[in-house]
Amino acid sequence: MWLPILGLLLGIGIGSALAIPIPGIYAKYLSVAVLAALDSVFGGLKSIIEDKFDGAVLLTGFFTNALLAALLAFLGDRLGVDLYLAAVFAFGVRLFQNLAIIRREMIANWLQKRRLSVQEAKKNG
Amino acid sequence: MKTGRQTFNKWQLPLTLVLFLSGLLLVMALRSLAASDSNPTRLQNDNLVNLIKTQEREIAGIQADISARRNLINNSRLTSASGKQALVSLQSQIQQLDIVAGYTEAKGPGLLISLDDNRKDAEAAQARNPAQFKPDDFLIHDRNLLYVVNDLRAAGAEAISVNDQRVVASTEFRCAGNTILVNTTRLAPPYIIRAIGNQNSLTRTLDLPESEFNILKMSGFPVSVESSPALLLPAYKGSYQFSFATPKAGS
Repeated sequence: MWLPILGLLLGIGIGSALAIPIPGIYAKYLSVAVLAALDSVFGGLKSIIEDKFDGAVLLTGFFTNALLAALLAFLGDRLGVDLYLAAVFAFGVRLFQNLAIIRREMIANWLQKRRLSVQEAKKNG
Repeated sequence: MKTGRQTFNKWQLPLTLVLFLSGLLLVMALRSLAASDSNPTRLQNDNLVNLIKTQEREIAGIQADISARRNLINNSRLTSASGKQALVSLQSQIQQLDIVAGYTEAKGPGLLISLDDNRKDAEAAQARNPAQFKPDDFLIHDRNLLYVVNDLRAAGAEAISVNDQRVVASTEFRCAGNTILVNTTRLAPPYIIRAIGNQNSLTRTLDLPESEFNILKMSGFPVSVESSPALLLPAYKGSYQFSFATPKAGS
């Protein structure tokens, strides 16, 4: 449970400590890549809750999404079309969908647990 | 239990890796955004500010050097004067000249004058008529300081300082952007002028209708004056250099 959170903190810590200089013009691509990464994280959480987790899917999804998003933003800049908005839109929508599913599942789990405990209490009482 | 343990392990490692990379990317993105905030103008400003700071540090070093040398001169003067009656009158003359030149701190009775920018009226004027608002009309300028100092000198002030700068023969009052340079040191409001001299005569001159102090007062600037029985004026921290002027022989 704590290992993923530790990983996140470690990533932030190493990122701050290394201070890799990124030129300002690439900031936008990086931002889109971050959005893709967040989408993968929430997708992974959803699949855990739904018991359909697959490590390979998560990892490949993470890398291809982040790369594709950055590439799309780059291509959009070359073409003069704000293609990165497509990535922002797609990932944004998916983020909210995944969050909604996670929330519903958690509420459902909690309600089920409570019902069970109430039944248990009734049986015992 | 065993299967539970297996599923537990199955999602932990990939998710950790993904979260690790997400954190890394996030920090990098934030950093590059923060870096892209700095535009060329700001960079140039930073450079100029740094330049000023290093120059000011250099000046402070040189001033420390000057005061050390001055102490050395004083010491050798004292030792050389011991037992030589003929030098006594010269010594007192030198001491008087030291006050004129600002080489020593000066103390005595006088006036303490405070001048400040007229912020209150400036705000009111801006609120009333922004199109015709001239912020210059509500600031203390270099010439205001110069005129007040001039009035004080006319009234017989023997030593004058503005903020921490002793006013000497070579002192300039100069406008530099939004600050005033005195002895090539930046001053900021409020400007405190200390003047040692006959308090009555100084006060009378400041009260004249055409005196700069009175004009500022009538224009609504927050100015004030108070008599002080014991003022302490700082010594002049710079030095005099004569590359062209030489004393005429025989005079």
